[in-house]
Amino acid sequence: MKRLLEIKNLTVEANSEEILKGISLEIMSGQVQALLGPNGSGKSCLAQTILGNPKYKVTQGEILFEGKPRSRTSSLRGMDIAKFSPEKRVKLGIALAWQSPPTIKGVKLSQLLTKISTFRGSTFPNLEVEPQFLEREINLDFSGGEKKISELLQILALKPKFAIFDEIDSGLDIKKLEEVSKIIKKEFLNKNVSILLITHWGQIFDYLKPDLVNVMLDGKIICKEKDFKKVLKVIKKYGYEKCKKCPFLAG
Amino acid sequence: MVMKNAKNVHFWQVDHKIKNIFEAKGIIILPSSEAWRRYNWVKSYFKRKPKEGYFIWVKKQVDFPLLTCITIASPKVSQDLTNLLVIEKNIKTKANVVCNAEKNNLCASHKAQGKFILKDGVLLEYNHFHKWGKKDFVSPDYEFILGENSHLLYTYKNLFPPQSLELKTAIYSGRNSSSNLNLTINGLNSKIKLKEKLFLEREKAQGIIRLRLVGRKNSQIVARSSVIATAASKGHLDCQGLLIDKNSKISLIPELICQNKKAQITHEASIGKISEEQLNYLRMRGLTEEEAINLIVAGFLKI
Repeated sequence: MKRLLEIKNLTVEANSEEILKGISLEIMSGQVQALLGPNGSGKSCLAQTILGNPKYKVTQGEILFEGKPRSRTSSLRGMDIAKFSPEKRVKLGIALAWQSPPTIKGVKLSQLLTKISTFRGSTFPNLEVEPQFLEREINLDFSGGEKKISELLQILALKPKFAIFDEIDSGLDIKKLEEVSKIIKKEFLNKNVSILLITHWGQIFDYLKPDLVNVMLDGKIICKEKDFKKVLKVIKKYGYEKCKKCPFLAG
Repeated sequence: MVMKNAKNVHFWQVDHKIKNIFEAKGIIILPSSEAWRRYNWVKSYFKRKPKEGYFIWVKKQVDFPLLTCITIASPKVSQDLTNLLVIEKNIKTKANVVCNAEKNNLCASHKAQGKFILKDGVLLEYNHFHKWGKKDFVSPDYEFILGENSHLLYTYKNLFPPQSLELKTAIYSGRNSSSNLNLTINGLNSKIKLKEKLFLEREKAQGIIRLRLVGRKNSQIVARSSVIATAASKGHLDCQGLLIDKNSKISLIPELICQNKKAQITHEASIGKISEEQLNYLRMRGLTEEEAINLIVAGFLKI
């Protein structure tokens, strides 16, 4: 498997406060990884930093994306995108579905989808949604479920190589969760798109079965585990407090 | 903005020259100076003898929109227009009106005084588009006089503002009439002064003034909007500004004057900015910062 994203010892601050404290993460092509952690542990900050939100300042480390060998003998090393603008990262093939997307008044969802689907040679996303939904103003009075569908449509229109879904499972009932999971499976997983699932309760794992779960606490990844059931079992039984005491802390 | 099919334009003036008058059955169209000579009654609507401009008299119901276009094509032209539109009773019609400069650097001036007479039972949808050069001076002064049971839907859009714009609009409402005034202005390197007055002087009259103003680079916008109710009537002011540039300023000055205890007049006014969150969201959809701002502004102005 080819390495698509490599984050090396990343330290990030916002408003002069250190939020990410030396994160390292590797995501291979077509791989599904999860980032699990309690509220405020830095999960969304990591996602926003990968996409280049100027609010978050990288003070140390690298974000390497999609490496190409410089010569036959050299190893595969991605380009450091840590200084790239968000739009440049998107055009390279990175996309993020926001946890709480803002309202854009007066702009129809269809307008935005039409515009962004041209960036990476995609077509208008073909999901079964009511036509009236596409004519609504972006996120204005959307229900929790509608926001997630809107995010999925936008990510689909961007045709990414690597997609981050930030709490795509929060605020969804079980039927909607199943629907969203099926879309991610069909439109991304089956098309070899690498995925990072950010969640704090992990129920979506039953549908999407991550290859690796990273547990994040207080700005650090403290555990990397292949068996997602095991991680969930521990967290459900003891909470994240148990992770802090775990003798097999990553790193 | 080019008139693609000038023959269909009912009145088209370029600089000081009338290029085309297209009269149709049921409508009389004349240069306003000619109307002054021909009809004594129109004199009561003009303050002085008109130099230039149009007179349009809609006498019968027509099934097409009225189209007028006043263009500036030469440098340093100074237009001084007097326009009069009279619509006879119970006619429902639409007018699409364009005032523009053909080039961006003509340093011209466009002054217009307009009166719009909507007799009883008239319904007029008036769409007014302005497109100016960056060194032009523009000062339209419009009055709408609404008869009983008449309805006005007035939309003014100016996405290409001149260096200076002074726009005055007054609406005099008849009994049981309604007026809906929508002004959409994109301020860019311009000084803009707006003055709207909605007079609710007859019973059951209703009116709304809605402003959407964007302060882009180096713009100073002052909007004084008044609703004056002297009869049992309803009025509302909705003024919203979006300030984008640090060197720009928007002043909204809403004024409500009520002289009848059965009248109900209200207002809402706000000036906001583009949030970083919206901007970052759209940039994370692949839009550049400028594209993101343009999209947010277009959404705000609903264009």
